[in-house]
This record gives sequence, structure tokens and C-alpha cells, in this order.
Amino acid sequence: MKNLISLDSLTDIVSNSVGILIIFAVINLIHDNNKTYQLEIPLEHETDLSPVFFISKNDRILAIDTDTIFANATSQATSKAAANKRLFSLDYFGLLGKIDDKKGISFFARDTSEWPEFKEIEKRSSTLRDSLDKLDPTKQFAYFFVYDNTEDGSSSGSGFEAFRKTREYLKSRFIKSGWQPVNSESPANICSRSTSRRCVYQPSYLGGGKSGSNPNNSLNNENKSDNKAQ
Amino acid sequence: MMSRAARYARYQRDDRLEISLFPFLSIFLCVMGVLSFINVLSSFSAPQKIELTAQLETGYKVAYQIFSLPDGVISVPPTKHLRQLQAVLDDADKEIIDVIIQQRKQKISNLKNHTGSIMNAAVEPDIDDILDTVHDIRTLNELALKANYLYEEFILFGIYPNGSQAYQKIRDVMSLTPDSAAISIGLEPLDSNWTLNLKKNQSK
Repeated sequence: MKNLISLDSLTDIVSNSVGILIIFAVINLIHDNNKTYQLEIPLEHETDLSPVFFISKNDRILAIDTDTIFANATSQATSKAAANKRLFSLDYFGLLGKIDDKKGISFFARDTSEWPEFKEIEKRSSTLRDSLDKLDPTKQFAYFFVYDNTEDGSSSGSGFEAFRKTREYLKSRFIKSGWQPVNSESPANICSRSTSRRCVYQPSYLGGGKSGSNPNNSLNNENKSDNKAQ
Repeated sequence: MMSRAARYARYQRDDRLEISLFPFLSIFLCVMGVLSFINVLSSFSAPQKIELTAQLETGYKVAYQIFSLPDGVISVPPTKHLRQLQAVLDDADKEIIDVIIQQRKQKISNLKNHTGSIMNAAVEPDIDDILDTVHDIRTLNELALKANYLYEEFILFGIYPNGSQAYQKIRDVMSLTPDSAAISIGLEPLDSNWTLNLKKNQSK
């Protein structure tokens, strides 16, 4: 009976497991401390390309059809709300608009439930991918208004991840992109440079293909494009 | 009376050395299990803890990093190549660079001496500070160009979640000064668990 109940093997297993876990914890700690990250170096630069606007919020991306939006805004421009600089519906995926002399037309994105999720970018046929695939790298670049507010428990801005993924996709298609952070207090706006110096939309991230993730490549490519523009 | 063969067989069975693989197998399986467990944990433990370097440069372009947080900004000026730039300038310009170096070292020193997390060292962007910073960068770039020294500073904004307010304020101020026209600007979105490490790649 004494031989049947032996704790030797159990102790052996437990002590082995604990020891190995401790070793791995120490290795992980050392490894974590050595993990550093160098920022990409995307620099804003002048371009002849025209911007196509997107809004990134709540892990969703909305392509802004400026023709439709401006047509809708124009029809609202005579209304009381627009005239009094109050919010009015743009009849476009739940976007609200506001017209201001300096800021042009501002967009307020409150309900994003109808917007395409950024994960759709992986699907071969999706609204988001279709709108991105329509971009012509020789004539256009993508400009993102990225919401920086955080969802509960998230370490990232609500539009950051969607923007990063979309930017990578565009890069693989040699399409340049630029962005600016926005929130409900500083909303996305499209205006003319003649009204304000801040009304500038420039690409910074480069459509350099898969090898372009190297900052050196990014900068070199950018200089080349600058030279070309000159 | 037992036969000799039977006695021999019994002797063999009693004294034979039996090797049990159980302890080795248990250790092996334990190691495999723990390794797999840690691998699975590592793959699911996103977002990773990432540290940002204080000194960032590509070729001759050197970043003046400004991290924009909800409480304000943390400015991390580069100092690494300034002494080399100073060496190729004439005496009057050397003094200008000297002042800039001292100011920047003071800024870095203040950040390093900050007690607690470096990410809590953010301060509200001050208009005069922004204008001075932009002016210094422009001065350095022009002096480097004048001396035909390959060195150019640009401003790189790191935007943390809820940090766009400070960024917008700085850009608004920058749009008011002609100094900023010649300065390149970059911006990157950062997650809140990406922390700044001043000890990495910082010049001594």
C-alpha cells in the first residue's frame, strides 16, 4: 500500500514546471526590456496628386464621396441650421456637417454602424476594398482623418488600427497616404488653402511597395518623389 | 529439489536491472507543455510593450520628436550631432549652437530627472516654447546648409490616443510663423503602451 501512493513523480513534475516557468519569466523580462521601436519617418511633402478623403473611427473606415457630400451640403446651405453654423445632416452614412468660414465644411461622425469595418480589407470583394482599389496612384493619394479617442480598455485610438492596416494595404498598391488626428472637438474638415493656412492635405506615408516598411527606404523614396515634383 | 535451470531463471528475474523512463518522459512532456503554453500566451499577449527611442535619424535627417499626449506634450530634442556641426562653423555661429545645445541638454536632463513614469512628464504646449523650438530648428538647418554640412532636423509628432489637442495647437502656432515653412514634418499614431525610453540611443 505504501508503494502505491508515491508523491515523488508529482513533486518532480510540479517542481520542473515551476522552475521552467520562472526561467521563462526572467527571459521574457529581459527580452521586454530590450525591445525598442524606431518610429517610421513619414514626412509630409508637396504633391501634385489630389487627395481622396477617408474617416477612420471605431475600427471602421468611411470613404468620403466629396461630390455627393458637397452636393448635399449645398442643398442644405440655404437651410436655417447651416446658415446658423449649426450641425445638419449630410445624408451620408450618418455624417453631420457644419459650415464655417475658416474651417470650410466640418464632419461629425457620431453613428458609425453603417461604415465598413477595416477587416473587410482582407476580403476580395468588399465596399472598402473596392473604394481603395479605385484610387489611381498616378493621380490620387489617400488622406485619412483618424479619430484618436479611446474605447474602454483599449490602448489605441479608435481609428488608429484601422488607419495603420489600410495604410499598409495602400502602400502595397503604391498609393501614398497622409493623415491627421481628429476628435469631436477638432473634427475632420475640408477647406480651401485660401481660407486658412492649416487647410493643407499632404501625403506623408509612401506607396513604396512591400520593401518600403524600412524607414530608410521611405525617406529615399520620398526624396525621389520630391525631386520629381520639382 | 529444484533443477539448476529453474534456479538460474529465478536468479536472473530477481537481479535484472529495470530502467523506468517515467521521470524522463514526465520532464520532457512538462517542458514541451510549458513551452507551448508560453508560445500561445506570447502570441495572444498583444499589444506588445514597445519602447520608443529618444534619438531618431535617417541619413542626415534627424528627428526632433514631440510626443502629443492628453495632458500635453513631451519634447525630445536631438543633441547627438550638434557638436560635430558646431566644429565646422565659424566662431559667431558656434556660440549660437552652444546656446541651443545647452538648452536642449537641460530639457533632456529635466525629463530624465522626472520622478515616476516619463509619460507623466507631459506639459501644456507653450506658444513661446513652440516658436523658439521652430526657430532653433530653422537656425540649425540654415547653419548646416551654410557650412555645407549634411544635417537637417525635422519635427516628428508621435500622437497618442486622445493626444490630438496638443498637436493641433502646435500646428496652429506653427502656421503663424514663417520659420516652420522650411521645416519638414512627420506624424505617427502611437498606442498608449508604447513608452519612451530616454536611455536608448541618447547621446551622452
